[in-house]
Amino acid sequence: MTVFEPKSEAMRLDLLEQVQLERLQALLARLRRNVRRYREPLGEAQVTRLAEVKQLPFTTPEDLVEAFPYGMFALPLREVKRLHSTAGPLGKPLVLGYTANDLRHWGRLAARQLVSAGVTPNDVVQIGFDAGVFGQSFGYLTAAEQIGAPVVPQDPVHIEHQLEVLRNYRTTVLVTTPANALELVALLASRRIDPQSLHLRTVLLSRPIDQRLRGALGVGLFAGVRCTFGIPEIMDPGLCVECEYGLLHANEDHFHVEIDHGELVITTLSREAMPLLRYRTRVACTAARQECPCGRTGLVLTPGARMDGRLLVNETPVYEAQIAQVLAKTRAAGQPFRLDISERGVSVDIAVSQECFGDEMRVLANLRIDIEAEFMARLGIQAKVHFVTTLG
Amino acid sequence: MRCGYGNLAVIKGVSLHVEQGEIVSLIGANGAGKTSLLKAIAGLLPAWGGTIRLDGRDITGAPAWRGISRGVVLVPEGRGIFADMSVMDNLVIGGYRNRDRLLAIERVLDQFPRLRERQRQIAGTLSGGEQQMLAIARALVGMPRILLLDEPSTGLAPLIVKDVFEMVRALRSQGVTIFLVEQNAVAALGIADRGYVLETGEVILEGSGEALRENPEVKRAYLGKGYREVWE
Repeated sequence: MTVFEPKSEAMRLDLLEQVQLERLQALLARLRRNVRRYREPLGEAQVTRLAEVKQLPFTTPEDLVEAFPYGMFALPLREVKRLHSTAGPLGKPLVLGYTANDLRHWGRLAARQLVSAGVTPNDVVQIGFDAGVFGQSFGYLTAAEQIGAPVVPQDPVHIEHQLEVLRNYRTTVLVTTPANALELVALLASRRIDPQSLHLRTVLLSRPIDQRLRGALGVGLFAGVRCTFGIPEIMDPGLCVECEYGLLHANEDHFHVEIDHGELVITTLSREAMPLLRYRTRVACTAARQECPCGRTGLVLTPGARMDGRLLVNETPVYEAQIAQVLAKTRAAGQPFRLDISERGVSVDIAVSQECFGDEMRVLANLRIDIEAEFMARLGIQAKVHFVTTLG
Repeated sequence: MRCGYGNLAVIKGVSLHVEQGEIVSLIGANGAGKTSLLKAIAGLLPAWGGTIRLDGRDITGAPAWRGISRGVVLVPEGRGIFADMSVMDNLVIGGYRNRDRLLAIERVLDQFPRLRERQRQIAGTLSGGEQQMLAIARALVGMPRILLLDEPSTGLAPLIVKDVFEMVRALRSQGVTIFLVEQNAVAALGIADRGYVLETGEVILEGSGEALRENPEVKRAYLGKGYREVWE
């Protein structure tokens, strides 16, 4: 069994179009009735064919920021069973709400991905997510429970402990981020542990990575590597399913997918708490309808880079402007600086005058500790601060 | 599809589908447009716009009698049996456009032994539940491809309502495709594979019967839980 809900995932295209149209019409009626922000822009707009969706207004991440915290909710707050936070444009906070039905859908959509990765009730699923993308772990948790596989929720901050659980619990499926998987590979190598001594069969990663890294992780953990792709504001995991042929099929019974000027635009068709109409995800993407031997009929997505300058540092979303904002709040405010941002951390060179290096060394050392602590506290990322006389 | 009366639009652009062998429920409050929608599907009310397709074939605008021979059979609200005629005569009329009606009547009487016992009784003297049974049986004699049920629970005691819905569920297991329109949301969603919620001429929710029963808006509006309150 590699398809969890064949009726939905491999739906006939004419039926899929009908289902999407019906759900879109119901969505419009609900938005008009329940969400003030949509009432005016929508007016009396109606769709009678799916193609008419192009005439409907967009929703942008900036709209979500403006509506913070609950302005986008289509139901009274007490009907919302769970609230997650995520990062919006320039790191501004966003609230995501889920009703009981939303949570059930989320679990089932994530379960589609797990089943496609070969998870059965005979597996032991271990979930380890970094702090910045912590919210995703709940989707996989519900999914594993719905499949009936024993699941170990785990924080990956203590990587030694994670490895211990991996060995002792005989975990067969690890769901994690690329950064965490790499760290595990490095740990195994430094401990001289043969990855074959683990029981791992599959590693499911939270975002797509390139083939080279995929190969390296596969060798380093001695397991098959699968990746999925999601948009936190929409539902992550859940937007699409990577099949055994490596294609990302959108779950089109729950999400209507468009590509507008190269940008992925998504309409949530079934969400109750926070439905979004034509949400501009700020992710470059291409979509193609193609026949796949796996049987799924959903559009095949090929996501590209972020279009809004969002970077991932240790899986935590960060914008360059945010880093400048953090620096401006420290005693190093106003000093010229240079950034070097990598996937593992941020390195900041701050220019100070020559005199500081003489008598004031201790002051500088304290300042460095303060600034690094500030980065951790405000952005949740590791920063390395260096003081230099000139920015080379 | 869109439809209405005079210049009053009752159904303002609604799409729905029923797959073969499914029970699909349409629930909604009084005046939401449920019965109008059903009448339009059965060909009793002209559609203002849109298309109605049966097995991919366009049947929009076809008169009701042609719809019946194609297999679109309506069981109207309030049952609409011929009260002065016997049970058997009612069934014969149900098969008016069916050449094999005698065979069909035999089969239906096997299905509803109670009606066989009472086939000579005057229909108006049957109990409410039996009358509903007769109305459905009469429709089945027409060999429906899709059975449209309008408020089968109207005017029946709660216990009888349960029986009627059990009967509908049993029909599905015999392969009859059913589109059920109901105010009794709990019962209708309980037996449905999927459901739609109609509010003032628009579908506002769609989903599996189970998901709809859990939906807060359905609970509020139709199951009488809580009251409306919007977070501002």
